Amino acid sequence: VTHKGVGEGRELTAETLARVEGEGAMHVVVRDGQVSDVQLRIYEPPRFFEAMLRGRGHTEPPDITSRICGICPVAYEMSACRAIEDACGVSVPEDIALMRRLLYCGEWIESHTLHVYLLHAPDFLGYPGAIEMAGDHRDVVERGLRLKKAGNALMTLVGGRAVHPVNIRVGGFYRFPTPAELRAARPQLEAALDDALATVAMASGFDFPDFEQDHEYVALRTDRDYPIEAGAFVTSSGHAFEVASFGDRVAEEHVPHSTALHARLRDSGPYVVGPLARYSLNHDRLPPTAREAADGAGLGPTCRNPFRSIVVRAVEIVVACEEALRIIDRWSDGGAPSVPVPPRAGVGHGATEAPRGTLYQRYELAADGTVLRAQIVPPTSQNQSSIESDLRGFVQARLHLDTEELTRQCEQAIRNYDPCISCATHFLDLTLEEA
Amino acid sequence: MSALVVGIGNPDRGDDAVGPLVAARVARLRLPGVEVVTYDEPLALVEHLPGREAVVVVDAARSADGRPGTVHVIRVGSAPLPRDTAALGSHGLGVVEAIELARALGRLPAQLTLIGVEAGAVDMGAPVSQQVRDRLEDAVRAVVDALPASTPKGA
Repeated sequence: VTHKGVGEGRELTAETLARVEGEGAMHVVVRDGQVSDVQLRIYEPPRFFEAMLRGRGHTEPPDITSRICGICPVAYEMSACRAIEDACGVSVPEDIALMRRLLYCGEWIESHTLHVYLLHAPDFLGYPGAIEMAGDHRDVVERGLRLKKAGNALMTLVGGRAVHPVNIRVGGFYRFPTPAELRAARPQLEAALDDALATVAMASGFDFPDFEQDHEYVALRTDRDYPIEAGAFVTSSGHAFEVASFGDRVAEEHVPHSTALHARLRDSGPYVVGPLARYSLNHDRLPPTAREAADGAGLGPTCRNPFRSIVVRAVEIVVACEEALRIIDRWSDGGAPSVPVPPRAGVGHGATEAPRGTLYQRYELAADGTVLRAQIVPPTSQNQSSIESDLRGFVQARLHLDTEELTRQCEQAIRNYDPCISCATHFLDLTLEEA
Repeated sequence: MSALVVGIGNPDRGDDAVGPLVAARVARLRLPGVEVVTYDEPLALVEHLPGREAVVVVDAARSADGRPGTVHVIRVGSAPLPRDTAALGSHGLGVVEAIELARALGRLPAQLTLIGVEAGAVDMGAPVSQQVRDRLEDAVRAVVDALPASTPKGA
């Protein structure tokens, strides 16, 4: 972190954002008492996956896209499967959809726990990082690692491997876990549910700055359940649209300071995806234990303070544990673990709720299944404009703080969004203007 | 199994692949009593260190004046590893942080060695550089040398 005075103004710069997945940098310029520029800069090498997918067979995108992110491989696999199946006119039966949801619960537990305990909690408890926090709060860190391990175990059980699950294919799975294997996972998940509830209690006791934001929220929504592996889009201003309309509603643009595309709604501008949006648009879809935990934590039906996202993430860990137990309890034997997905020429769309927010993919296939074009819109690129707008307002109201403290608080504000900067970068040839 | 060899890195990112590549070569030696795994998330180390007699971690490294392919061997002792430099490890939530977290939680194994192979380009889709390829066997030897003496070598 560097900071320097510039004439009458000053600049806040965090050259490498600590505790953000991937690599990124923040640059805020203040002149004459006004925030004049805010840039979340991304210098992770550009992602080349969209280009790499062209010319591949229609069964390959789940495996290939899972390598984009070591934290949320399932999200990439699931959105890819849904998009390819959509292009081929196939919908999977209920038991395959349920098993996908179960796998995805493992990723939510793992990813949210990593963020809540090891990346974000140190901000609220006043430590530079998890290592220093572990000295004074060993039980807290141990609980986080235990929860994360439960998520990993679930991903390994259903996905075959905790990172880059190998049991997933277009059309379903190579094999289903047996009912006995699923029952054996129950005790660890019950303990995880207790740990998740303790996580909500812990996070709700943190101090939060007064910082309500009126961002437009976008999330998936279903007829029945809290959105994870399925749903259609809804927005906080009351719009609703199908996944296939994503490209008509959302424009991706590039900005000079970033290799990630910024997404905006064509008719209303920047928006936010992720836990706050999901929660606020689906509060009535929370399963009972999670609903109770949210009430107990003092969260209303909507949450507009990005700093409280740590509480909402904790509630979503409860959702994932509760849903995983429910799926295991109602699982009988399942039918075939996959359905055939014969290729055909067409376009398909898939969207699922990655831990960080909605992840959209679109594929154009030739008649033999060859991928002609692939588009991947990860959550962080959708949130980037809103993160910058948060920083603008946040810094403006805190100019009385010294630069070091203000920089630290800005980094915390960025971590509210759990940005996965490595997934947010696209394959683009960009000339970076100015230093 | 009381010895563990861990290769860390992303096979799609140029020289960052060196951890998994070295791990694969060590696995082919079929050393008795030695388990070989690869992770691309360094924090996974925290879960897998306890209960091991010896652990060797191989990762791509960056140091100020290093040349690609240079093999660094660091025995992790009682002093904390420096965390404010990019001396070792190429991952956001780095290997060094994972090890120090394990230390704070009392989870360090009796013997822990880091093998850092100096990386050149780590762009997505880049091939592994010739300089790193040329030193892979040196890195494998460093791993084997770091395993406990009781472990049969070079089988």
